[in-house]
Amino acid sequence: MQNVENVIISCAGLGSRLKMNMPKCLIKIGNKTIIEMQLELLKNVPNIRIVVGFKETEVIDFIKKIRNDVIFVRNPDYATTSNSYSIYLATKDLKAPYVIIDGDLIIKKDSFDNFLSKCKNKNLVGFTKAKTEDAVFVKIDENNTIQWFSRELKTEYEWCSIAYLYNIKISNNQDYVFKELEKKLPLEGIEMDCFEIDTPTDYMLAVKNISTLI
Amino acid sequence: MNNIAFCFDLDGTITKEEILPLLAKEINLFEEINVLTDITMRGMMRFEQSFKLRVKLLSEIKISLAQNIVEMVEIDKDICNFIHENKNNCYVISGNLDVWIAKIIKKLDCKCFCSSALYKNDKIVDILNIIKKDEVINNLKKQYKTVIAVGDGMNDADMFKKSDISIAFGGFRNPSQSLIELSDYVIFNGASLCKMLKML
Repeated sequence: MQNVENVIISCAGLGSRLKMNMPKCLIKIGNKTIIEMQLELLKNVPNIRIVVGFKETEVIDFIKKIRNDVIFVRNPDYATTSNSYSIYLATKDLKAPYVIIDGDLIIKKDSFDNFLSKCKNKNLVGFTKAKTEDAVFVKIDENNTIQWFSRELKTEYEWCSIAYLYNIKISNNQDYVFKELEKKLPLEGIEMDCFEIDTPTDYMLAVKNISTLI
Repeated sequence: MNNIAFCFDLDGTITKEEILPLLAKEINLFEEINVLTDITMRGMMRFEQSFKLRVKLLSEIKISLAQNIVEMVEIDKDICNFIHENKNNCYVISGNLDVWIAKIIKKLDCKCFCSSALYKNDKIVDILNIIKKDEVINNLKKQYKTVIAVGDGMNDADMFKKSDISIAFGGFRNPSQSLIELSDYVIFNGASLCKMLKML
């Protein structure tokens, strides 16, 4: 039995670094789109909000056929705002704790189930073995506690854009999500088996490793 | 000052069908009225013009018969329950005529702002007033801190522009694209809609 009632997926961005001119959540890895894989992982979560922006009609039409109880939150300013602003829009009226997931993340099922089972009465931040091109590295201590985030100082692990926010609110300040998390350090972390797709290299890496993720 | 006003469009939002095409079946004008309703919902014809024309065409139906037909229209159960539970702060804001929707409003048991008709001997003689949804919202804003609008068609655009939070609802069919562009949220399921409204 998992405790997570609310999940926010951000699918608003342009995905400009990937240069595929389509929303990243609709990109197929293997024979499924990223959003289909995510929604399968979330089938026991009752409340799902998805932030849409770039090509919102396509994204909405695709997702509502899979799950028609999703609440779509619009970010019409997606081209000039950050992911953290999208999450702010989706959570500004939400009083309960929630999980945030980036719409470009492929997560292994047992890893995700393990994460969900640990979301209880505390904040929990996902990290993974560093492998993406534009990583935000995290420094982990022996208890899996996150000490700091950094774009410059390389470590073995990177922040993987998934977190359970028990008492952290994302503010309307246009910064990166990890900058909001930084204010609450140290934070409990959890290692996850996942791939984030920001660049063509990340995409190729995920395609190559898809068999290990499903 | 009250906290939140919940404003719902009626046709295609609370009801799972458009009401006027249903009435039109009685006089074999279903196709014609349906086309008019459709292009109006998409914003291709002004609501006032289209509504006057549709009422003119439908005015030969006895009011009592129209009321009985409208009473049978299926309504979204979750929205209906939400309205019952919050009836002091729920409003139906409909372009439709008071005499036609009277029984459905009684069933919903909440306050209603709608267009009104002049009638005589169970027949509609003329339209007295066509509702301006933006004026209704402006007035509610004087009484409430937050006004939330839920609708599906372009005749809800004025209501969306004035509301604090607007929700394009596609429980019965896709909301019109131009209305989606004015909305904060897009929802296709009555239960999800009401769960969200309760959280506010």
